[in-house]
Amino acid sequence: MPLLALTDIWKRFGATVALAGARFTLDAGEVHALVGANGAGKSTLARVISGQLQADSGSIALEGRTIRFAGTREAIRAGIAMVTQETSLAPDLSVLENIMLPRFGIPGPLDWRAMRREARRLIERLGAEAGVAIEARVRDLAVGQRQIVEILKALALDSRIIIFDEPTAPLSPHETERLFDIIRNLAALGHGLVFVSHRLEEIFALSDRTTVLREGSVAAEAVPTRELTQGELIRLMVGRELSDIYARSDTARSDTARKDRGTKATTDAPVLRLSHLSAPPRVRDVSLSVHEGEIVGLAGLVGAGRSETLETIFGLRRARGGTIELDGKPFFPASPREAIRAGIGLIPEDRRGQGTVPDFSVRENLLLAHLGAHRGAGLAYRTRDGAIRRLLSLLGLPEQRLLDANLLTFSGGMQQKVILARWLLLSPRLLLLDEPTRGVDIATRSSIYSLLRRIAAEGVACLVVSSDFEEVIGLCDRIVVLSDGTDVTSIPSALVDIEKLGMFAAPRSSAERTHTVLERLSARYGGTAFWIGIERGRVFCFDRVGKDPAADPGFSGGEFPEIGATRIPAALERRDAGFVTEPDSRLATLLVPVRGRSGHDLGMVGLTLAGFADVPDGAALARAVAEDLGAEREREAA
Amino acid sequence: MSRTAEDRTAVAARRSLPAQLLHLLATQIELRMVLLIVVVMAGLSRISPYFLTANNLLNVMDQSVIAGMVALGQTLVILIGGIDLSVGSLTGVSAIMLGLAFPKLGVPIAVLICLASGAFLGLINGVIITFGRIAPFVVTLGMMSIGRSMAYVLSGASSIGNIPDSLAALTADSVFGIPLDFLCLIVAYAIAWFFLTFAKGGRTLYAIGSNAEAARIAGLSINLWSIAAYVVAGLMSAVAAVFLTSKILSIDPIGGAGEELDSIAAVVIGGASLFGGRGSIIGTLAGVFIMVFIRNGLNLLNVSPYWQGTAIGSIIIAAVLVERLLSGGRSRA
Repeated sequence: MPLLALTDIWKRFGATVALAGARFTLDAGEVHALVGANGAGKSTLARVISGQLQADSGSIALEGRTIRFAGTREAIRAGIAMVTQETSLAPDLSVLENIMLPRFGIPGPLDWRAMRREARRLIERLGAEAGVAIEARVRDLAVGQRQIVEILKALALDSRIIIFDEPTAPLSPHETERLFDIIRNLAALGHGLVFVSHRLEEIFALSDRTTVLREGSVAAEAVPTRELTQGELIRLMVGRELSDIYARSDTARSDTARKDRGTKATTDAPVLRLSHLSAPPRVRDVSLSVHEGEIVGLAGLVGAGRSETLETIFGLRRARGGTIELDGKPFFPASPREAIRAGIGLIPEDRRGQGTVPDFSVRENLLLAHLGAHRGAGLAYRTRDGAIRRLLSLLGLPEQRLLDANLLTFSGGMQQKVILARWLLLSPRLLLLDEPTRGVDIATRSSIYSLLRRIAAEGVACLVVSSDFEEVIGLCDRIVVLSDGTDVTSIPSALVDIEKLGMFAAPRSSAERTHTVLERLSARYGGTAFWIGIERGRVFCFDRVGKDPAADPGFSGGEFPEIGATRIPAALERRDAGFVTEPDSRLATLLVPVRGRSGHDLGMVGLTLAGFADVPDGAALARAVAEDLGAEREREAA
Repeated sequence: MSRTAEDRTAVAARRSLPAQLLHLLATQIELRMVLLIVVVMAGLSRISPYFLTANNLLNVMDQSVIAGMVALGQTLVILIGGIDLSVGSLTGVSAIMLGLAFPKLGVPIAVLICLASGAFLGLINGVIITFGRIAPFVVTLGMMSIGRSMAYVLSGASSIGNIPDSLAALTADSVFGIPLDFLCLIVAYAIAWFFLTFAKGGRTLYAIGSNAEAARIAGLSINLWSIAAYVVAGLMSAVAAVFLTSKILSIDPIGGAGEELDSIAAVVIGGASLFGGRGSIIGTLAGVFIMVFIRNGLNLLNVSPYWQGTAIGSIIIAAVLVERLLSGGRSRA
């Protein structure tokens, strides 16, 4: 009998169906990944399990008994806890007090000594890696440690089921490893763990079984993760509707538009050009350009400096070095107002906290940026009446119902459209969008995408930050990948896939171990060492060490030439186990596949040498490289 | 989400007339306040036949000027989510400035100096709060203490008399039977209403109180207008000082004491949220009137003045409770 079984769960939010007959089962002692694209309903399902939301229909059975939670309190009592990104801890209390907080509600004196003993026991159960001092104040802990405190809190409540909702988003790779060890530990102790994520690498590294949600229903139910490949998982997550979502159906038109744009990009001066922009601590060295009518994606992991780059362009953050050019002229905004008057708009990441004015009507929310840009002492709202009417019909928003209402009563997608309209009202030259579809249902997402294409087609330059690689590839013309505050590559989205983006985006600390191996290779044997991925006749270079022009493979980090355009086409084509020597040059190349912990493809490490004379034994070297990579990975985990 | 919005419009269409009136009452602070005033006036006139006489009404108008002037500035500060505890002390110290200046410089210049000193101390409040990022409660609490202390220091702890006639005329004269000072109050509120409704600065104050971060990203000048709110609060304290001097014909360093709490009470009774973003200048004026009516009514009924605090305090709490009930969970005050 499964620990937890959900059958035929339905949940509607107004006209939007968030869950349409979803199913989910969880066994004791397993890590079950709950996967889906943005808006697929995975978080909604997690919240139904944890009692935060009540399903409209369907049944939930805990160890065979049908249950129905009226709130999180009941779910916690039944032994179900959720660990989220935004932790629910009291920052000014100690770790011990936070773990034992539920005890404070029980009448009678507190037995501090027993609580301390209990907390120590729990920490021990989690494994020594927990490394949390129980007397420390939660405020002083790093995000990763706070999550551990939340887990401890859940354990103190005897939770048998713990749900992790995108727990790794704010974590460093090291913290992530530690969290994974803890989760594995919990599974070994017989807990049932639900792991909600859209990061494929993590799902493969951690989970025993995988359930894929797509548009509220189950695309794959409880499949052993081992039996899935990354490609299959992506297909399951995205389905065949990918082209619909990203409005790629009118390919003829958008292709010509893109072609026009492509030629334009080379001839026209860019609307925005950043060169070596730095704004410490997050933005270190970012160069990129956005042309008229172009949608450029800014991809990368959380903390890579993407939002901060937008904020620097928009005058919310001071640049320390480098230059920003707007239409070819140097531009250093001291405030958002200057940026707005120069024709820039920003759609911030946190819609509630940075986007909406809750006490204003929709009309005034729409006119907020107009008010910021307006130079007179009055309001001049009337001057925008016509434009508002046109915009609302363009966005498909009902004018009558909308204008005098409170913005907060509308869905996330509707709110986002209003905020988008706020900037469109000013006819901007450049739109900066930070996670524009977060918390937006899939139907509205699709209409936001087609709207953005339309805006771009009218000549607006768009720079879009998104954590969703699928979205970046589907929406943008070109993608600039940031890693640790530095731009790693700028690549047309048609040439790249999710895996390659993930490898480009790998945080420096995690790419460092591969880099160390490359350095050792290059130092020991001379020549050039590199880390690449090969896909559809194209080589994607994630990293390269060695500057010897004689041993130049014909590409360096961030480049993505076709195999034929490199200097080692034969080796890249054949990918033999040993050294391959080019027929028309003296270059000898060895390629070694890189595999992740759970065996998934992480590209190849290569070594190119100039000359036949002292080519080492290929097979032995390949083994050594593989061992070296493994050792580095162990060191990282330790 | 979108469902709630649909439901609301649907429900609104189906509503009966009384329900619609109730809805209007729930959404319009001003309407609610006017109704409340009518009820209070009706009640008081039933209890005391003297209440609705011209003499008593003149008396009520007279009593509402000083509290009203201070509450106007306080409204702007509370709208941005701040609070100004120093307004009473600023009234005291700027009155002393007036008293020290008029014997040498004449009344007009002295009034200007008085207003300037109020506005200047408000500016200090605003600059420290905005750029120092210190809680307004703390900064204005400090200024409250400093202001009162300066009033004693500057005056040598003695009161100033011999107020010139031209100053006294401000409260003694009337136009068409309405006291001049009361007309000034109404004009000040009319200007404030116009500003808050139709000027960029006014809407900016609301936006700051509702969500300062969103306002900043939309390019509104939040620092400028935040400081301006405190400057106006200081300025209005000084305006109150001028009328106070004109009325009691003497300047005392203790002048204006207690105004900070009266003004906050008027703003809260007037329906504003102490978290900012919500409130109305008309509501504040009504709040001032209600407080004055209650005090006046209790006087007419020969109730001991010691009871006034209990009455006003109960009304403050009741006002916030009603506000919360009417606006459902949305109320944050």
